[in-house]
Parts: sequence; C-alpha cells; structure tokens
Amino acid sequence: MGDAVKPGNGGEAPPVPAEDPLLVELRGLLLAAEKKDVTQIQERLDDPQSRAEDISHVLPEAIAIRSRRDRDLTDSLLPAVEEAIGISVRRHPDVLVDGLFPVMGPAIRKSITNTLAEMLESLNQTLAIGFSKQGLKWRLEAWRTGKPFAQVVLLRTLLYRVEQVFLIHRETGLLLCHVSAPGAAVQDASMVSGMLTAIRDFVGDSFGSAGAGGLDAFRVGELDVWVEQGPRAVLAAVIRGTPPKELRAVFTEAIEKIHRDHAGDLEEFAGDAAPFERSRGVLEECLKSQKQPAEEKAARRRGLRRYAPVLGVFAVLAAAIGFWVFTTVRRNERFERYVRSLAAQPGIVVTASGRRGGKFFVEGLRDPLAADPAPMAAAAKLDPKEVVGSWKPYRALDPPIVVARARTFLSAPESVSLRVDGATLVAAGSAPARWIQESRRLSRSIPDVSSYDDRGVSDTDHAGLDRLRKAVESRRVFFARGSSELAAAESERIAQASREIGELGQAASAAGMPVRVEVVGRGDSEGTTDVNLSLSRKRAEKVQAALGVPPAGVALAATGVGASQPLVEEKTDQDRQVNRSVSFRVILPEPK
Amino acid sequence: MIQKKICMLGAFAVGKTSLVSRYVKSIFSDKYHSTVGVKVDKKLVVVGDEQIDLLLWDLYGEDEFQKIRESYLRGSSGYVLVADGTRRETLDKAVVLHSRAQETVGKVPFVLMINKADLADKWEIQSEAVTDLGGGGWPAFKTSAKTGEGVEEAFLALARKMVGG
Repeated sequence: MGDAVKPGNGGEAPPVPAEDPLLVELRGLLLAAEKKDVTQIQERLDDPQSRAEDISHVLPEAIAIRSRRDRDLTDSLLPAVEEAIGISVRRHPDVLVDGLFPVMGPAIRKSITNTLAEMLESLNQTLAIGFSKQGLKWRLEAWRTGKPFAQVVLLRTLLYRVEQVFLIHRETGLLLCHVSAPGAAVQDASMVSGMLTAIRDFVGDSFGSAGAGGLDAFRVGELDVWVEQGPRAVLAAVIRGTPPKELRAVFTEAIEKIHRDHAGDLEEFAGDAAPFERSRGVLEECLKSQKQPAEEKAARRRGLRRYAPVLGVFAVLAAAIGFWVFTTVRRNERFERYVRSLAAQPGIVVTASGRRGGKFFVEGLRDPLAADPAPMAAAAKLDPKEVVGSWKPYRALDPPIVVARARTFLSAPESVSLRVDGATLVAAGSAPARWIQESRRLSRSIPDVSSYDDRGVSDTDHAGLDRLRKAVESRRVFFARGSSELAAAESERIAQASREIGELGQAASAAGMPVRVEVVGRGDSEGTTDVNLSLSRKRAEKVQAALGVPPAGVALAATGVGASQPLVEEKTDQDRQVNRSVSFRVILPEPK
Repeated sequence: MIQKKICMLGAFAVGKTSLVSRYVKSIFSDKYHSTVGVKVDKKLVVVGDEQIDLLLWDLYGEDEFQKIRESYLRGSSGYVLVADGTRRETLDKAVVLHSRAQETVGKVPFVLMINKADLADKWEIQSEAVTDLGGGGWPAFKTSAKTGEGVEEAFLALARKMVGG
C-alpha cells in the first residue's frame, strides 16, 4: 500500500492504466484531501502576493543565518544598498541628516580632539626645537621663504624615507615579498625577515603576553622599524628619519589589502612566495611616501621661483622705501642745520621747530633788522615752500643788531664802520663833514647806546679841499722881466688854475664852507720896491681878469706883494724868473 | 623558488654553529645565539630542478640553564637534530628535542646529524643505537663540520622530504 501511495503524494505517479474505473474511483476516495492541499500549494506558489507573504515570515531569520555563515549576502546586497543610499541622499537628504545627526556630533568631536592632539604634539615639538641651533636655522628659513615658522618645522620634521618594506609570513617568518628604495642598504631579505620574526617572537615571549604579537615598532639609531601585523602576514617597514604618525595608516591599509587579495595564498602558503609578487605594487605604495621629503624640497624650490616676481616687487619696494628713508633723513638733517643756523643769527630767537602737516615749521621772534630766514632756507638746500616760518617782531639787543639799527638811524655811509663797545657806539673811517656834524647832533638819540665816539672818523670833505688847495696853490703864472702882460704860453696854466679853483669852490660849497682865493702877484728883487709892488699888483689883476668870473662860493682877490715874499731865494736868473710870477693862496676855515 | 623554515636543534656544544658557519650563508653575528637565542641563516639546496632556500633557525643549544623557545619552532617545515658522536648524552637530548618539536610543529620531516665524524675513534654512539631510534625510521647522517662529510647529503635529504622530490 505504502508503495502505491508514495508516488501519488508527489503527483508524479507512474502511468497507471486510466481506464480502470475502480482505480480512478479509489484514487478519488483516497486522495481527495491531498489533492486539495496540492492545489492550494500550487495556487500559493503561483501567487506572488502570497509568496511574498510567506518569505516575509522567514526573511529576518534567513538573513541572520546566512550572515553568520559567510559574507556573500553582504557582498550581494552591497551594490543595491550603495545605490539606494546614493538615491536617498539625492532625493531625501533630510532623512539621512536626521538619521546621522546623533552620530555626527560625536564623530566631529572625535575628529576635533584628534586634530587638537596632533596640533599639541606639533606645538610641543616646535617648543622643543624653538631655541636650538636648528630651530634658529628654520626660523631663518621661515623668514627667507615667507612661510609660517610652524609650517617650516612641520616640513623639516616630516623628512623621512621608507627604505625597505618586508612582507613576512607570520607563522614561518618566511619572506613573501620585499621592496626597497633605490640606494638603500639591503641585506639578504629572507634572512632579515627570519631574524626579524625571531626578534619579535623573542620580545613577545619575554615581555608581552603570548600571541599579542608584541613588537610594533623599534628604533635603531636613525632607523625606525614599524611592524604592522595582520592575522597571517606581517608588514615591516624600515624608515630613515622621523616618520609622521599618519604613515602607519598607509601600512595598515597595505596589510589589510594584502590579506584581502591573498586570503587563499596566505592560508595555503607552503614556501612558494611567487603569488605575492602581485602585491609588490601595494608594497611599493608604502615606499612612495619616502619621496615626500624630496617633493617638498622641490616644492620649496618651485615655491621660491614662484615667489620670484613677488620678491622682485619686494626688492623694488624696499629700494623705494630705502630711498625715501634716505631723503627723509637727509631733509631732516638739513632742516636741523637750518634751525641751528637760524638760532645762531643775531636778532632771531627760535622758540619751536619741527614737522607739522607734512611741512617743516619754525617759530620764534625776529628783529626786523635780522637776516631774512627765507633765503637762508634756500641756502640750506631746503625747499622754501616746505618750510613755514612764523615770526613775531621784537627788538634785539645783540650788538650786530644794535649796530645795524644805529647805522640806519644815522644813515651812515659805507665808509664809516660802526661797533658797540659796552654802551658806546664807536664809529671809524671817513665821512663828509656834514654827516659828521649831523651824526654828532643825533648822537644823543641813537637807540640802545648811551654815548657816541666818532674820533676815528676823518672828514672826507676837508681832505678833498686840502688836496684841491694844494693843487691850486702850486700853480704859477710866469711873467717876463718888467712886464705884466700874459705870455701866450701861460694862458694854458691859467685855464688849468681856473678849473681847479672851480672844483675847489664846488667842494667847499658841498662841505658848506666859504673859500677865498687870493691871486698873489710878485716881482724879482731887481728894481725898486714901488715899481715892483705896482708891477706885482698889475700882474695879479691881470691873472684875476684872465680867470674870469669866479665860481659860486669862491671869493677871488688880487694882491701884489712885490719882492717882499719871494717864492725862492734869488741866486740865479732862473730864481728871479720864478719870483716874477703870480701864485694863488687858498683860504679855508679851519676844520673843527 | 621555494622557501622553507628549518630549525636546528641540539644539545649544547654539539657543533651546530660550526656546521652552520662553514656550509651556509650567514649575515648575523653569533652573539644572537646567546642573546636572542636564535640565529637565522640560509642554506640553498637544489632538488631536481627546484631551488630551495632553507631558512635555518639555529636555536641555541639547550642545556639545564636555557630551554629552547617553542615560539621559534612554530612554522617550521622541518628540523635538523644535531648530536655529538663523542657524547652519548647528546643523542638522548636529541630524542627529547625531537619529541618537543613534534609537539609544537607536528610530524614534519627531520634529519639527525651525528656530528664530529672526524673523531670516529672517540665515538660513544654505536651504530645500533642510531638505527634503533624511532623504530629504525630515523634518517641519520654522520657529519663532520671539519671535513664537510655528510652535511650536504643531510640537508638535501631533508629538502627532498619536505618538497616530496
């Protein structure tokens, strides 16, 4: 029976002779209930609605079970989830923002904390090197390149080079792959790999807890060895210099990637490192960071070149500033010199000086007779427009000013020099008699002096008259023996005497003095006194007549003295001839 | 090219270091023995047309003062037991080390080098003692660090066992 029923259950019964109505009936009787169930199941399977209903009951459990078993579900969901998130972000950003809001705060805080910690570390570093010799060098560099000091420190401290990277099979310590920077000193990598593993084991056994892996980093002189440990493989990087902490992330990523790419290779590793050649690129990525310092250097050089135009402008600017400073300093010096020379001037008192509103200014007192400040400014090579002077008049008692004032007051001629001796004005030189008289009259009123001494002033008028008198008195008009007739040759002498008498008259009237010219006739000692006297008078009158009308202010008088006042003692005929003549005598009032 | 990690195990002063220093490539100083307790060297052997780099972890000779570190044994594809033919107790030690190695790394290939073959007249170990070892299955080689006798053969035999050549 059971054998007959089983196929019926599956609905796939072997062909049964259908024509047997008994069997058909029997089947109808026996399987009516099951047939109904099968039909129902069939309907449910065909109806998507109800199938979805069914799956919804088991879906969470199914996901949980599968997730525990492997990652395939995650892998197959990943593209859909990524796309869904992408669409969601585009369409409904608010939903995502609301969802992320509670985690964003802590994430941001954590990020800020990390950044601050890094900053503090770099600050500590900066302080540590701030006062060292190297620090000073870097400061100089910062000044030269115009970069902030902190940046220079950062650049310099980041100088490092990843020289070698070992990928080591963790369990056996065998080398899977090894890359090295050009020029790095490399020993037999497979032995180094083994020894490195041994040392890590040693340290782990000696100090660490078993299985913790132990040594993550150690330093030998300038070299750092950083070890990044994965479950099956270890990455060891040999670094020269001071690597930044961020570098570890590079290694971590590399070892993670290698584990992903070589999950099977690592598990089945039996000494053949060939498959790991594929990861050489990943390891070389780790070396790449060693080029950073070189790039930075190049960048600095590029940077300098980039700054060249700026530096040029800076240089021009500096030159301009230098020139401006130079001219300003020079102008200031000139001004100070000018002010000093002003202060040294008699009749000028400087009370204030300086710069105001872009111009120089000098203030003070100035006697009207003192030097003019404006030309002095020009003389000091200052632009008079740049110097504003403001002067209040006052009366100075400096001797030069007193003298100048006296000179003005007395209208003293150039030929008279004046000086102050105590309270006395002392005059010297020569001046016309009229001025001398006038100055004596004014002497009591000369400002700022109590007395006047003009003993050193000679009378120029008197001297001139004296000269003219001598010239006139040296003239002779000669006569023949016994004659009072003017010889033709003598008329020239008379004309000369006439001119000289005219000049004398002018000079005398200019000096306000009367002048009298006596025409004195003579005779020689031969002959009688009367005859000689009469002859001499006739000769004098003859010359007077020949002189004509005397000029204004001159009184002419003719007189004969005979032989009583001979010009020379008569010893020879020639002496007698000299005495047969007319001469002139000038009479002037005596100078006072 | 295949690499294999091999441990060299033996009692104190059986001549492991001499074997290593004459017949393998070494870049590390012997002082690692007394400090870290191991020195890693390399021995190149050729099996068929395959080159095999044997990374030899030469473990410091065990005595009453220093035990070998089991962590050094981990990951070994095989090991070399070294005894001193002139000292019977070193063979006993090798047997002890053998069982410890098996505990750590399982049943992996190994060879026994009975060293100082050049001092045959002073030998304490009889051939029978060797052949009896492990029920007669131990691959034993008489070696001499001084003459080089048996050294290459021993390494080659071990390599063959490991790669199945």
